[in-house]
Amino acid sequence: MNEKELKEALDNIEIEDYLGILKLGKRLMNTIKAFKQEKSIKIAVLGSCSIQHLISALRVYLLKYDIQADIYQGEYNGIEMDALSDGSDLYKFNPQIVLIMTYYKDIKIIPDLFAGDNDIELHLKREESRYRNLWNHINEKCQCHIFQTNFVLPSLRTLGNLEYKYKFSKNTYIQKINLHLLDSKPNNVDFIDLDFIASYVGKGKWFDNVAYFMSKQAFSLEVIGFVADTIAKMIAAHKGLVRKCLVLDLDNTLWGGIVGDLGFEGINLDPNDPIGEAYLNFQQYVLDLKNRGVILAVCSKNDLDIAKEPFIENKKMILSLDDISCFIANWDDKSSNLRQIASELNIGIDSLVFFDDNPAEREIVKRFLPEVWVVNVPEDPANYASVLAFENPFEWSYITKEDISRSQSYIQNKKRITSNLSFNDYNEYLQDLEMQAFIKYIDNDDSTRFLQLINKTNQFNLRTQRYNELQIEQFSNDKNYSLISISISDKFSEYGIVSCIILRKEKRICFIDTWVMSCRVLKRGIESLVMEKIIESATEMGCDQVVGEYIPTVKNAMVKNIYIDFGFEPVDFLEKTNCSSSEGNLYLLKDLNKIKQNPYYISKN
Amino acid sequence: MSIKKDLEEIFRDVFEDNDLELFDKMSAKDIDDWDSLTHIQLILEIEKAFQVKFTLEEVMKTQNVGEFIDLLTIKIRK
Repeated sequence: MNEKELKEALDNIEIEDYLGILKLGKRLMNTIKAFKQEKSIKIAVLGSCSIQHLISALRVYLLKYDIQADIYQGEYNGIEMDALSDGSDLYKFNPQIVLIMTYYKDIKIIPDLFAGDNDIELHLKREESRYRNLWNHINEKCQCHIFQTNFVLPSLRTLGNLEYKYKFSKNTYIQKINLHLLDSKPNNVDFIDLDFIASYVGKGKWFDNVAYFMSKQAFSLEVIGFVADTIAKMIAAHKGLVRKCLVLDLDNTLWGGIVGDLGFEGINLDPNDPIGEAYLNFQQYVLDLKNRGVILAVCSKNDLDIAKEPFIENKKMILSLDDISCFIANWDDKSSNLRQIASELNIGIDSLVFFDDNPAEREIVKRFLPEVWVVNVPEDPANYASVLAFENPFEWSYITKEDISRSQSYIQNKKRITSNLSFNDYNEYLQDLEMQAFIKYIDNDDSTRFLQLINKTNQFNLRTQRYNELQIEQFSNDKNYSLISISISDKFSEYGIVSCIILRKEKRICFIDTWVMSCRVLKRGIESLVMEKIIESATEMGCDQVVGEYIPTVKNAMVKNIYIDFGFEPVDFLEKTNCSSSEGNLYLLKDLNKIKQNPYYISKN
Repeated sequence: MSIKKDLEEIFRDVFEDNDLELFDKMSAKDIDDWDSLTHIQLILEIEKAFQVKFTLEEVMKTQNVGEFIDLLTIKIRK
């Protein structure tokens, strides 16, 4: 199978076609060995039931989300064996991600009928300590992220509906375990809500008794696509492959009918008409997405004024112009408009999600911009929201306060660009912004955002090193490291943490291990402020030289010359330190006083 | 005769071998990929194609092609 055929096969997978998925998985296993495995991520799958088929399907879905995986298959029912013995094959494999597939029969002891709260609490503590022990052991042996499924509540109810009535019942107890483990997990463990998927497909279909008794399958083969898709999305999000922006068509997408023909009052948004209500329901879902931090954009074949009219004049609209960060309506082809949107918002084309009712437009975008996630929009507007919710392109590892204010600050950014014109020069404009910076060494409160920025930033990222929670924790406890975050605010908005730096002391040299910055705040002089802080910290650490490195990727060309611009000199390699790398270009600042600095207009706090 | 032909289609599909030709005594020994996991796959496909449901015992006991044909002949007639 060549690359083109593979790409086509991956694009055309149907989530319910389990046989097609398993076949593709089998073929992948044979061809994948031929690919170079440098960039592949090492995933270990452990389970109390059989996991062979799941791994096959997972391979397919990981590749669909651009992840090459080298997968270790744990022994059948061998979670403990692998995780608790120091010299196990699991640790020889040294995974970056461990996936633990649980099954409700793993819970061996359940409270007696009529057990009291204290007794149930003791039972919960015992289950907790079992998993804590596993997680601790895995963490001691390898620095990895752990994904674990929650328990799918069984459909075998001894007490019938009374299972729900009594706190001591098995199903209520299993629900409690799910919540209890969620409360007691360390940061590097994430739970996969498998019980949701089981409910979504229906538990009658989920459990296949014959398959369980024959070959210990925790769920029916028929639902394997649903499981693999969910897990692959979470792993992709963990690796920083996230979609940030929803690009919407207008006519027959946000409202019924064509505004150019019907006028802003004639389009169907009537809450008393079932079809109008369906469009309103979709708009509400889109607004909810915006409120959780998804950026909204419009891309419509229309005259701009006519396209904007409903947003301004039609009182039934739920979305307003202020919700849309980038509004494009013209008669150009949509793929160039999508490019335009990405560049105006300063995000990658691969962070766009395209929602258009017109299949021809979707085909064009798929063909010319394969990086864009094109939602498979159903014919019936009644199902727009639920299809988008089910496809779930916005599966992120976490949401932060910055995410939520982000879509707002993009909109502010746009306003800023328009108000920009009244200034004589750019410096005057920057001064007028009244920017303030808060520079600090990271602590627990902001480590989530620190981690997110390091793992999500692709453009302003000098070395594109990705780190997990444990590594960051380790660095922050190590005297030779400095981890610094910079938050920015201006008179329009609060940006939160926008730049992160990791400095490592190598004898008397300070090495810039990581420097990332959010593209929302480019060209604001923040680079200069950060460099000043780097020099200051280097001095504090007792260093008299600074070394930076640029490792080129397809996305980070914008920072190619940054060290040269600051007066660093290119060097081939540096003896005496561990700084040398074959991948990137090294730059040395021999004398900390020789830094070339530009003025900036940010006050420091 | 047609049961065998339909069955052959399913076997070719599951084991991805378009030249596969069924014979009555054909069993897991004759096909590399035929293990307990693909067995379940096979069962699901046959159940779907013939619109029947196998019991656990039938799934366990049906180990070669001839046995599948016999079983299907009985189940379809019902």
